[in-house]
Amino acid sequence: MNKLIRRSLLRHPVRTLLTIGSLAVAIFLLCFLRSLVTTLSAGVESANQQRLWVQSAVSLFVDLPLTYQGKIDAVDGVKRTCRWQWFGGYYQDRTNFFAQFAVDPEPLFSMWPEVEIIDGSKEAFLEDRRACVVGAGIARQFGWKVGDTVPLIGALFQKADGSAWEFQVAAIYRPARATVDDRTFFFRWDLFEKTMEEAMGQTPQVGVFVIELEPGADVPAVMASVDGLFENGPQRVQTTTEAEFNRQFVSMVGNVPRLVSFIGGGVLLAILLACVNTMLMQAREQLREIGVMKALGFSDRSAALFLLSQSLLLVGSGGALGIGLALLTQPGIAGFLNRYFPGYEIQPTTIAAAIGVTLVLGLLAGAVPARVAERTRTVEAMRPH
Amino acid sequence: MLVPFRYNLRSLFVRRTATLLTALGIAATVAIFAGVLALEAGFRTLFVESGREDLFVFLRPGSTNEGDSIWRRDLADRLAKTLPGIRRDASGEAFASKECYLAVRRFRVGGGETNVPVRGVEPRTFDIHGDGIRIVAGRRFRPGADEVIVGSKLVDRIRGCALGDVIQLNTTPLNVVGVFESEGPYASEIWGDLDRMQAALVRPFPNRVIALLEPGTDLPALARRLEADKETPAKVLTEREYLAAQTGALSQVLLTLGSVLAVVMGLAAIFTATNTMLAAIASRTHEIGILLACGFRPLAVFLAFLGEALVLGLLGGAIGCLIVVPLNGLETGATNFNTFTEVAFAFRVTPDVLATAVVFSLVLGLLGGAAPAWRAARLPPVTALRRQ
Repeated sequence: MNKLIRRSLLRHPVRTLLTIGSLAVAIFLLCFLRSLVTTLSAGVESANQQRLWVQSAVSLFVDLPLTYQGKIDAVDGVKRTCRWQWFGGYYQDRTNFFAQFAVDPEPLFSMWPEVEIIDGSKEAFLEDRRACVVGAGIARQFGWKVGDTVPLIGALFQKADGSAWEFQVAAIYRPARATVDDRTFFFRWDLFEKTMEEAMGQTPQVGVFVIELEPGADVPAVMASVDGLFENGPQRVQTTTEAEFNRQFVSMVGNVPRLVSFIGGGVLLAILLACVNTMLMQAREQLREIGVMKALGFSDRSAALFLLSQSLLLVGSGGALGIGLALLTQPGIAGFLNRYFPGYEIQPTTIAAAIGVTLVLGLLAGAVPARVAERTRTVEAMRPH
Repeated sequence: MLVPFRYNLRSLFVRRTATLLTALGIAATVAIFAGVLALEAGFRTLFVESGREDLFVFLRPGSTNEGDSIWRRDLADRLAKTLPGIRRDASGEAFASKECYLAVRRFRVGGGETNVPVRGVEPRTFDIHGDGIRIVAGRRFRPGADEVIVGSKLVDRIRGCALGDVIQLNTTPLNVVGVFESEGPYASEIWGDLDRMQAALVRPFPNRVIALLEPGTDLPALARRLEADKETPAKVLTEREYLAAQTGALSQVLLTLGSVLAVVMGLAAIFTATNTMLAAIASRTHEIGILLACGFRPLAVFLAFLGEALVLGLLGGAIGCLIVVPLNGLETGATNFNTFTEVAFAFRVTPDVLATAVVFSLVLGLLGGAAPAWRAARLPPVTALRRQ
């Protein structure tokens, strides 16, 4: 019986191959689309529990006064804070996009255990005011090595003489997990502050304060006291967990997940129709064989099973190929998307979903012809047509 | 001599289950492709078509949008005063206005956070826009008062944006006293008095200056002059140019997504069409033998089956268009990645979108039908005739 199933599928090798091909493409597409959505929310799941983020309650684009740091440091449960400011500059050309932040150098390494230095050293970053730490992704792209001087053009923050900011690569970091970005550029707050004082005649403000909590700190209480400190201005703040902080960016992307599931539905429908089409063709052509089988004494049930197994084998091969294709292309796609959308990764749940979809497709596509095979009377099936 | 086309049409009808299944598969592919295109068209028209050619936007040099552009107030005033060719009303007052702009954090009605633009404007702004900004409920804010008006697209989407609500900005509560309509992206914004907005947001500087210039102003010459200006260097664009430049990032994302989907799903649809055509030809081998024996040339047979595949593709394209047309006008929100703010817009199923969809479906039919039609044309008549 197994051999018969295989042989029946190979009777039209081109048809079988084309069906498997289109299935593979569709299942690949579903894996790809779902991975886009899961990657989007991966930042939320990879969030660190020991960190809180303090930002303006008004807008992403509003800075906070420098004087807030001392007050936040004094709150019960806060171990230390790190200042972050979005630099928004570029290297050589505006299209070379990556994030740059001015940060307090001391806390940077102790507060982010999820990154590791693969070249250069932490000490070099702490010693030299012009030092910077760069992600392995951008170091590779621009060919930066430890000790290189990197000029960045300040789009938002310009030097007094309008020239480029110059940094010395002190260390290159690599994230320990794929969901952490490897394209960020960190430089020292003291350099940023001094340069901006020269340019503007006033100290720059802070984008966000990152809090490291004392072990066992009461998180809601810390958040409430920090928010309460600045209730009456000059800038109200909102303190959130890292997960919540990341979630706001996911939320801003808006309807994308819904759009993607809509597209996924269309793909599914198209591929279901294609499979049903192939299986109906198979059944129509195999009607005589089914008649012969029944005449030989095979039951109605096994005749139905015969077609259903063909469908499952056909769809299963296509699905397996599609999942294989998705896994195979993962590094390539991740590399391509990395600049704007880091951390593309196919989750095990996505593979499970793909297997589920494949099985359902196989059963649905096989059900109709199987029913025909079951119902058709032996004599009718054997009659030439 | 060509094979009568009716032969192919009838054959599609005889095998209607397979025809329908294949056409529906093509339709799903075409519908998704056209849907993404309609989304992009809606987004682009919202920005580009609402932009005026006689309204000019002045930014600081080097900035690409008003979020980046920061004017010192005295310089902005000086620019508005010294601008050549500015249009004035009967009393001699110039049609120019300073505006401040900030994307503020708000919550959607359905949950989730988003960025909504708040714009502080001078009373003159309303004279400049004329009918472009229409109050549809309540009234305008009073100059100097803690009042705002909200764009009509925000009312049902963003919390606290209905008439009579209070919007809290930092430490200042602002009353919503009116709702306004506009064809362009302004309908997704909150507007208030320039001075009050600057005070509430603790940002004492305007972001851009807008002005009406006399017709026939030489824009390139003006742009060169302003760029070289020692005291108030500025970048000038028409409102239309400014808005068009804001669509770049999202348009690119949508077009890339659309093309990737079209190629990948198109591949699957081509495979299906090939399957259907191969089966159609296999079961008609005898007929093809008769056609060839009658004296029809292989080329005629090839064209006949290619035509059949094209009709199959076109049928799918037509169904796909029918699926997409009801989307026209459907409102949705998306983030404009240039300013990182959310803007509401409608799907626009334009004739261009439909034409692209139909051409795409024909290409699918063509690619799916070419190999089977070739096989049919190459059949030796005698063997073909022998097959039952």
